[in-house]
Amino acid sequence: MSDNLEQLFVKQLKDNQNIIHKICRLYTNDEDAHKDLFQEITIQLWKAFPKFRGDSKFSTWAYRVALNTAITLYRKSTRTVATTSFEAQKHFISQEEYNFEEEEKIKLMYQAVQQLNDIEKALVFLYLEDKDYTEISETLGISEVNARVKMNRIKGKLKKILNP
Amino acid sequence: MEELDLLKKAWQKDSYSYEQVSEMEIYKMLHKKSSSIVKWILIISIIEVLFWAVISIYFKVDEYLKNLNAENLSMYFQVLNVVNYVVILWFIYNFYKNYIKISTIASTNQLMHDILKTRKTVKYYVWYNLLMALLSMIAAFVMEFEFNPRMQIVKNQIANENNYQTLFVTVGIILLSIIVFIGLVWLFYRLLYGILLRKLYINYKELKKIDL
Repeated sequence: MSDNLEQLFVKQLKDNQNIIHKICRLYTNDEDAHKDLFQEITIQLWKAFPKFRGDSKFSTWAYRVALNTAITLYRKSTRTVATTSFEAQKHFISQEEYNFEEEEKIKLMYQAVQQLNDIEKALVFLYLEDKDYTEISETLGISEVNARVKMNRIKGKLKKILNP
Repeated sequence: MEELDLLKKAWQKDSYSYEQVSEMEIYKMLHKKSSSIVKWILIISIIEVLFWAVISIYFKVDEYLKNLNAENLSMYFQVLNVVNYVVILWFIYNFYKNYIKISTIASTNQLMHDILKTRKTVKYYVWYNLLMALLSMIAAFVMEFEFNPRMQIVKNQIANENNYQTLFVTVGIILLSIIVFIGLVWLFYRLLYGILLRKLYINYKELKKIDL
């Protein structure tokens, strides 16, 4: 593949890397695994890049490949055991608008999400990214109605995890 | 759900800080080797095809028949050989066709389906080879019995006995060795693909459950 294409890819990936970080964080539980999955997703994105036509946004296109890699292609088990040590150092809310109570709530919610299985995580991920059910159903290859039903069930499950 | 929406808000603001990967690091990653299951399936499949191909090449039926003074059977085996090669080529073609269909830009459901289909082709290939091995073993036993002069002692013994003890023992040994052979291969595959595809199967089932 030409150097030009490579340059373009590297730049796009660098600018959009947070999408991949978000997926890695959701599907792994320590930094080594995070890096390992990040690398595998990068390789898979690069392999699929010639088929990316630019009629959609790079980020939209990257969701699919990245999620598919995490759920399907990645060999190591990505099931997360809820660990707090890796999470504890980081914050969801920026310092300017820091609110302890809210931060705690978000953290607990995030830990609950991490206890879901791989497929449920994918649904939640797309939901958090504000994708509509059409896109969620197309990405996962399930019907729109069932994606909606499943998402409601997941919400119920999360509620149960938070208030056992 | 209030908490999930809080998370969503925070999630989209992206204020969570990730250690950023530099362009240089991305360049390096592009030249690293993938360790995806698709790649492993390809590697294992190639080894499998080669393994069974080598076995069928090295198993020289002609010499075996010559030793047994049963060269008149050679014709049948040549036909069988040609059929065997055609079937193997057909498997390889199908494997290739399924393999190139695997694409990470397909939906998750489709991708999993395509991977499992590719894997199934190899599974059938192995079962076909096992069946051929089984038939060859049975044929070899029968031919040994029929044509090997040394088997005359056993034959005489069977003829002289009224309780068929020797016959039962002979057939028993043959059956046992076949079962052990097939069992070992089966166990090997269960372990190999069990480890490799465990996660994929779990997630595929989970996805299928949603669409029930």
